[in-house]
Amino acid sequence: MSKDILDNITEKEYEHGFVTNVEQEFIPKGLNEDIIRLISAKKDEPEWMLEFRLEAFRRWQKMPLPQWAHLDIPEIDFQDIIYYAAPKKDEDRPKEIDPELEKTFDKLGIPLHERKALAGVAVDAVFDSVSVTTTFRSALAEKGIIFCSFSEAVREHPDLVRKYLASVVPVGDNFYSALNSAVFSDGSFVYIPKGVRCPMELSSYFRINAAGTGQFERTLIVADEGSYVSYMEGCTAPMRDENQLHAAVVEIIVEKDAEVKYSTVQNWYPGDAEGKGGIFNFVTKRGICKGSGSHLSWTQVETGSAITWKYPSTILKGDNSSSEFYSVAVTNNFQQADTGTKMIHIGRNTRSRIVSKGISAGRSQNSYRGLVKMLPGADNARNFSQCDSLLIGDRCGAHTFPYIENANRTAVVEHEATTSKISEDQLFYCNQRGIGPEEAVGLIVNGYAREVLSKLPMEFAVEAQKLLQVSLEGSVG
Amino acid sequence: MTEVIVVSEGNLARSIEVQPGQRKDMVLLILPGVSCDLKMDVTLAGEGAEANIYGAYVCGCDEKVRIAVDMHHDHPHCNSRQLFKGIAGGTSKVDFYGKIIVAQDAQKTEAYQENHNILLSDGAKVDTKPQLEIYADDVKCSHGATIGRLNEEEQFYMRSRGISLEDAKVLQMISFIAPVLENIPDESQREAMASEIESQIRNIIR
Repeated sequence: MSKDILDNITEKEYEHGFVTNVEQEFIPKGLNEDIIRLISAKKDEPEWMLEFRLEAFRRWQKMPLPQWAHLDIPEIDFQDIIYYAAPKKDEDRPKEIDPELEKTFDKLGIPLHERKALAGVAVDAVFDSVSVTTTFRSALAEKGIIFCSFSEAVREHPDLVRKYLASVVPVGDNFYSALNSAVFSDGSFVYIPKGVRCPMELSSYFRINAAGTGQFERTLIVADEGSYVSYMEGCTAPMRDENQLHAAVVEIIVEKDAEVKYSTVQNWYPGDAEGKGGIFNFVTKRGICKGSGSHLSWTQVETGSAITWKYPSTILKGDNSSSEFYSVAVTNNFQQADTGTKMIHIGRNTRSRIVSKGISAGRSQNSYRGLVKMLPGADNARNFSQCDSLLIGDRCGAHTFPYIENANRTAVVEHEATTSKISEDQLFYCNQRGIGPEEAVGLIVNGYAREVLSKLPMEFAVEAQKLLQVSLEGSVG
Repeated sequence: MTEVIVVSEGNLARSIEVQPGQRKDMVLLILPGVSCDLKMDVTLAGEGAEANIYGAYVCGCDEKVRIAVDMHHDHPHCNSRQLFKGIAGGTSKVDFYGKIIVAQDAQKTEAYQENHNILLSDGAKVDTKPQLEIYADDVKCSHGATIGRLNEEEQFYMRSRGISLEDAKVLQMISFIAPVLENIPDESQREAMASEIESQIRNIIR
């Protein structure tokens, strides 16, 4: 009985799969130094930025593909991707947003007009390779906060960008970060000045629209001494039979006593029930708690993408700094996810906490991979990790690969992991009380993921809960 | 029948197949001064097979200890349990790797794995990689790993009752290792091993 219910729950259509018909300009397919010069020219970049890209490209060419993840990645032809696509600006109205684009974002629930927008959330909307608009900029500027697209930051705040770019994720860090450094298009730049508490949630929304392209966004967040910011990120893409590549780099710098909260709801197109199409989400996210007493918290809800390869990490350099990682990763049908975190403790009295909840259904494979490393100077450092996996159906897999390294006598590391399924008893209990089978599974899954969902900002929490139910629709059996 | 192995210096690779309905118990002991590379590959080869592997290691100088365990659950209704506990002092280096692999058909599997470590000195280093690879849904699997130090509050408790710091530490370490030693069924052998380990521990902390 319960088998059918689970089957039903994990089958629901992807609702953001539409395509926007807007005139777009593309650059030729393929990747070489000329293409990189072309991207750089399109964005009016200064010489140093172009040099940075070319240097990254030269290094990338010598790098091997990472093979260590528990993923089956089909061969990607990097010459068969369009690295830059942008909606054409209307020549009559160069200042205004194309109504088609506005409609697209409206449909996705992201109003671009400030008067319609949710009070308290400023949005940077990125469509393929360019940022369409950034709302509430003037309100934020009053407090000295810079929130703009990355291209703009390169032009208008070159000193800040040069100081921090690639300081957390070096160009040659890994294959995909090098690729991103060479061809990155747009993303968000955030700077919170000393002692400022950002009055609203900052948010970026990424949309892939054009076929045959990849999206390579770059985000840089700098929180100066004693500041606070909460940043959210969301993303969707149309339904297509081809696989599209998304390789982003996110860097976060947290200075003394500052706090950054970074939340993601990742809902790229996961491919159809036969595993055809979907986004390859190969992302490098890393933050550094640079100053003493700084705090960085990652929260992610991963429901989309055909393949996810993502490890938001923290380097705990400042004494007494702390970091948290909360994750819910749901995979269904033929999705694959290899995700987790790295906590690298350098400073004294540093603390970190990892809570990861994996849910696999259908024929999907869901892995947690994490590193906790205590360096010799990390006196009295502390880590606690908990990784739970929930299996729905007997054709899926759930895996846990933690790496724990301790070279300090006073540092304490704890890790625990469990694997289980939704039991017949739990379902029976709910059914008996008049809760339908699908609802019951939703209830159990939400309860299971509650610890993570409760960490999300309110605007996201509601969406994430719904998303969990949608992603699992049809998987209950 | 429980097999007790006091591991000697060098490499030790064992491949074990547990037949349906059979049970294999094993206790591995690695004493101070022994550097070794231990590879265990255990396959539960039919329904109802059970494997229990217990290990303890005590390192006090510059040992390099590597332990790797692969536990294959290929059939339904098999149970396995692994418990590895160790103490690393001096400039020793311990590497633990343990993987539980549960195949798609291996429903009703119960598999547990624990690895606990105590670091005694700043020069010692412990890396541990407990892993779960699970392809079946109706299973109970868990693993746990910790790396920590001797509890100072416990030491204070004992010292305030007239036990010297050295004795307190020895008591802590012996009781830490005890859950592994308990699995040696022969009483005289168990006691001989316990007193051997106790005197070795005393040597380390002296």
